Amino acid sequence: MAIFNIKKREIECKIVYYGPGRSGKTTNMEYIYKTYKKQIIGEMVSVDTEGDRTLFFDFLPMGLGQIKGFDIRVQVYTVPGQVQYSSTRKLVLKGVDGVIFVADSLVVRREKNMLSLKDLQHNLKEYGINILKIPLIMQHNKRDLAEQGIPVMSIDQMEKDLNRQLKVPSFSASAITGHGVGATLKECLKLTLLSFKKQFKSG
Amino acid sequence: MNITKKIKILLQEAKLYHSQGLLNEAMEKYNNAKKLIQSNEQLKTHQNLINGISNKILALNEDIIKIEKSPKKPEVSAKMQDLIKKMVSFSSDKNEDLKALDGAIALAKLGQIKRAISEFNELIKTDSLRVVAAKSMLRCYMALSSKDEAVAQYEQWISDHRFSTIQLDKLRVFLENILKKEGVEKKLSKRKPPKDSIDEVQTEEPEVEDEDIIDINSLGITIHRGSQKGQVVEFKTRFQLGNVVSLLISIRDKDLIDVFKVGDMIDDIQYYSTAALYKGSGTVKSIKEVKIGPLRGDYCMDIKITLNQP
Ligand SMILES: Nc1nc2c(ncn2[C@@H]2O[C@H](COP(=O)(O)OP(=O)(O)O)[C@@H](O)[C@H]2O)c(=O)[nH]1
Ligand SMILES: [Mg+2]
Repeated sequence: MAIFNIKKREIECKIVYYGPGRSGKTTNMEYIYKTYKKQIIGEMVSVDTEGDRTLFFDFLPMGLGQIKGFDIRVQVYTVPGQVQYSSTRKLVLKGVDGVIFVADSLVVRREKNMLSLKDLQHNLKEYGINILKIPLIMQHNKRDLAEQGIPVMSIDQMEKDLNRQLKVPSFSASAITGHGVGATLKECLKLTLLSFKKQFKSG
Repeated sequence: MNITKKIKILLQEAKLYHSQGLLNEAMEKYNNAKKLIQSNEQLKTHQNLINGISNKILALNEDIIKIEKSPKKPEVSAKMQDLIKKMVSFSSDKNEDLKALDGAIALAKLGQIKRAISEFNELIKTDSLRVVAAKSMLRCYMALSSKDEAVAQYEQWISDHRFSTIQLDKLRVFLENILKKEGVEKKLSKRKPPKDSIDEVQTEEPEVEDEDIIDINSLGITIHRGSQKGQVVEFKTRFQLGNVVSLLISIRDKDLIDVFKVGDMIDDIQYYSTAALYKGSGTVKSIKEVKIGPLRGDYCMDIKITLNQP
């Protein structure tokens, strides 16, 4: 539910990084914060606990400049992944326009990925949003770990597990090196802005 | 693969998982490695390895305990609390009051109870939100385990002229019920009825609140007749008793009043609660003109709500 301010010629939208705990959502955002200085219009805010676990959420305000005479502003959030923060995740999703699902490539996290995707679907539904309709991007993160001899799932496997029905654009990434991070966010922003255009036309 | 190599891989995995905060996964790998070593006593460095792994498991356990002990919803800075409000009030919904209510409820949900209480206290000034805000405030006191403060607050409201007697009755029943759940049986005092009560349109006794019923802030109804045909009109909830919500149709929307008839089934209603949007239907129970008070001339419509299963 983006905010269209016709008078100020401003569009503000909300993007949320979702995914199981420790899949690399905060690391994605940290990389964006470090790398895309020109598009960052404020501080990145994180509240974390013992063992740098995201407590409530991380927040990053971005500005994409002008598109068709409109100033585009983006509020980017991450959710806390741990199971016990379910109600917090739901709050973060409120009014969301686009979602990036950060999946963990580690074999040991296979089931957690699938559970988190179910949780996303459920929480969106509670807001009356169909997961098949919202701009959604899949990111297969931590691809770098394969080189260290750590068991990592194949992309095929992950696509089968998570993206067989959704069929959304997906990216391989390594948030720690930044590989794939920008591409993931850009695609999500592209789809999100495109969806506004459609809404405008139909409404 | 020989045993030494297997063990090496397990330990490498465990170390990485630990460093990434995947503590259960790390524990499993350490335990697997330990078992493997124990079942191969011919390994030269047998005892050294076991000792090494035991130390790692100890360190891991310490981390697990630290996380379990850390507060789940600690109080954060005022700046962060503002951000929580901003996060949930993000929507094109024009209604600032409802946004403020969403913000206060989110603060309460995230454990920022004291701040939430002060926000709810502000919202009590708004007519349409008074009861919701007051109830939430009472809940907050209960969350702080200050039953006495909840009761004291209610008693203060008795002499607060912003609350109508009906509203107070609802709050009394509500508070008595939550106290009962905490094992406290207490009859709370009521406001003494004035000689000639003026602002009451309805006189029914409030029903006992059903905890499963969601507080509806507003609802959107698709209009099928009249000049606003085809449009979704949003109505603010004036108050809610169990599964009956009461809305106000302004005299300025006179043509809307003619659209609804008592007994009408309305399909396709969108119910907005603070946390979510629900779809459902409803039955018009009554439509009454308000005869007295500041809302004189407006119409009060009660709808019995049915929410679709999510
Ligand atoms: N090797 C590797 N580690 C990563 C990657 N992304 C995140 N991590 C690590 O995984 C852990 C959890 O990351 P974090 O961003 O806090 O996860 P979040 O819970 O999803 O926010 C941290 O130790 C990160 O350094 C990656 O692409 N490769
Ligand atoms: Mg995080």
